[in-house]
Amino acid sequence: MSSGLAASFLISRSAGRRKRLAGLLGHAALFLTASSSALAILFIFYYIFRDALPFFRQRGLREFLFSTAWYPSSPEPAFGALAIFYGSGLVTAGAVLFAVPLGVSAAICLSDTLPFRARQMVKPVIEILAAIPSVAFGFLALVVLAPHLQQHGGTMLAVVAGVLGLPVAALGTWVASDLCTTRWTGRTRQVLRGVAVLVLGAIALLALYHGVSFLKALQIASGTNALNVALVLGIMALPTIVSVSEDALQAVGRELREGAYALGATRAETMLFVVIPAARSGIAAAIILGIMRAIGETMVVWMASGNAAQIPTPWYNLLQPVRTLTATIAGDMGEADHVTGSARYHVLFAMALCLVVISYTLNLVSEHFVRRGGRVGRR
Amino acid sequence: MNLASRKLINRVFTSVGVLSILLMAATLVVIMGPIVERGLGAFIFRGTVEHRRVLLQQFGRGDREALEAESREVAAARRPVYDLLEAFEAQLTQGPAELRRQYRQPLNELKQHLQGLLGPFPGKPEPVLLRDRYGETRWDQARARCDHIVYAEHYDYSDPSRMGLLVRTPRAEQFAGTVLEPLFTYVPAHLEEMLRPRWTCYARFLTDVSYDSHFFGGIGPELLGTFYLTIGAILFAVPLGVVSAIYLTEYARPGSRVVALLRTCISTLAGVPSIVFGLFGLAFFINTLRVSPSKSVLAGSLTLGLLILPLVIRAAEEAIRSVPETYKLAALSLGATRWRTMVTVLLPAALPGILTGIVISMGRAAGETAPIIFTAAVSVGQPLALWQTFTEPTPALPWNIFNLCSEHQAVDEIRHVQYGMVFTLVLLVLLLNSTAIFLRARISRKLRG
Repeated sequence: MSSGLAASFLISRSAGRRKRLAGLLGHAALFLTASSSALAILFIFYYIFRDALPFFRQRGLREFLFSTAWYPSSPEPAFGALAIFYGSGLVTAGAVLFAVPLGVSAAICLSDTLPFRARQMVKPVIEILAAIPSVAFGFLALVVLAPHLQQHGGTMLAVVAGVLGLPVAALGTWVASDLCTTRWTGRTRQVLRGVAVLVLGAIALLALYHGVSFLKALQIASGTNALNVALVLGIMALPTIVSVSEDALQAVGRELREGAYALGATRAETMLFVVIPAARSGIAAAIILGIMRAIGETMVVWMASGNAAQIPTPWYNLLQPVRTLTATIAGDMGEADHVTGSARYHVLFAMALCLVVISYTLNLVSEHFVRRGGRVGRR
Repeated sequence: MNLASRKLINRVFTSVGVLSILLMAATLVVIMGPIVERGLGAFIFRGTVEHRRVLLQQFGRGDREALEAESREVAAARRPVYDLLEAFEAQLTQGPAELRRQYRQPLNELKQHLQGLLGPFPGKPEPVLLRDRYGETRWDQARARCDHIVYAEHYDYSDPSRMGLLVRTPRAEQFAGTVLEPLFTYVPAHLEEMLRPRWTCYARFLTDVSYDSHFFGGIGPELLGTFYLTIGAILFAVPLGVVSAIYLTEYARPGSRVVALLRTCISTLAGVPSIVFGLFGLAFFINTLRVSPSKSVLAGSLTLGLLILPLVIRAAEEAIRSVPETYKLAALSLGATRWRTMVTVLLPAALPGILTGIVISMGRAAGETAPIIFTAAVSVGQPLALWQTFTEPTPALPWNIFNLCSEHQAVDEIRHVQYGMVFTLVLLVLLLNSTAIFLRARISRKLRG
């Protein structure tokens, strides 16, 4: 019996060596497969850079970054992409301005206000919104939103401004009158407060009226403009912002909330002064992910931005057509493809390189925020 | 600040949150409304006799005798229109040259609209373009065309400070006092008899090829192309992704620098803009590796596969991690190796979760446009056979939606096809996603129970 054991031992030793070798090989194969995504990133950087390099060799950096003259197909071509960078920035900023307040307040409501059942009903809405393909959004922006904006854009803007502005003005008046009369007490305060409400309310209403009538008189020359794209990009960035910042808000422990409630804070005060500051890294990460979604989006901007390589006048005018990096790559490649090797072809790779670098940087920043947020949550 | 203000702010804060969620839901309704309503219109609509004629002559479907009988009745109803036109032209040729000059342009315009409504005039040679050989196939379009016959439209730019104003004048005024005048009351009154609209369910829209750049027929090649591209992307991304996830969850030392680097790479890959994937696919798969001479389904699938790789990795990782630790420990304690534990215990347990991830990535791959612009998509093409996918480009739903609504020469006339495509694509993606949601619900029920 003991010899049998020894034999089995011997066999298992040589088999063990083979097994270890096989295990090592298997491990190596697994590692190689797992590093395919790293390889992919490396290759993307390399191949985009390789095809971008000839452009920078031929034309240099200065024209590309600081000139607004974009005439790639003229006999004396000019490749100033400043206006295109600006267009990308403008629509992204517009989308963020629209999506962040909406998304963060929706996330707050989802994480702290709504009961579980209602949350389960809202989740699919966000998922569907996230799942709709970008080309469908682009189609709607071009076919539905653009004609409406062009025909009654001024009225639409005025209505939105009125509906949003009236409650804000009322609340602002109420709170401001309360805040600026805290020095007095009793009867004097009530009288002063009444006066303050009247004065501030009148000012606010007047301002609102002027704003609304200004918007109403606006004539929108083309429905395919930066505003249209910013709106639609904002809708597309919403699901990301909502779900990531909801996760961040949930990660803030119950203890902080209960502590704030125990001190007598209302829910709004708890959220604004305790939970949101604690979750700010996660919310920042959410915003950055939203920005990445908006800046890398191609189809919507290609279809509905108007594709005019110009800086709007004045610079914040969202009602003029713009052109973005992604749309330029998508739109010009078809024509540039036949003359592979020309500056016109390589400039598109230069733009892609800029996009990759931007998204890489943003990704690093968001990872940094996520890591910091994770630390705060654990502490 | 007094308590009343604090309470007010609190209440406003809550209602802002609820309102923003309601706004989000309303946005979804506003988005889905036109897609569903007008998208269904591509499948279910009031088809005219011309639609049935297209189906019979181009696709060989339908009842020939019934159509012939119907055509005779329709021709009888149309006869007065042609008679009026002939009488008017005879009047013109006999009348003074000035009269001819006055009516040449309005008459040509009118004849164009009549041809668009009813098809080519009897006795005229058959037009070259297929779209000119048939009248309006859809009742809604026929009515719009009828409106163009009754009213002439032009834009008034006399006030330079405003945008052009649409002016509609009845054509009956243009032709007042001529023999043609009764035509403008006859056509709207007898439109139904001339075109015979009938509720039609055109389900073969999904599988039919299209004729004359989508004027007639369906979206078969596009749907097939999207199908090929999606399956190709999955075939490429799933093995890579699942194996990567296995390595990351079970083999790599957690917290080591290599793993951190890999994770950064995966999240970077997930953040690369989709158009850059397209450029990379062109520069790498087509220009460098030469997987195909030019655009092909294969190159597009590889590009899309790369795009969804991070999604698959993350989903598979999460699924493997959510398998209870006890399963693994039990298998290991029975003497199974790590690999055996993985293949026989962990992967089967994680399979539903992995499937969920795969289905969601399929939805993503089906809807992406930017990566296939330079690598796989063409505007017009026939359905491909399986072996052709290695070398041939294909039409695909997302690309053709773009192409039809922004580069087609008659955008307005094929609006229904565009909506039909958008509807089909969105439905496809949502079906995939709801399958995923369903799968996930089952898993969570199983894990709880």
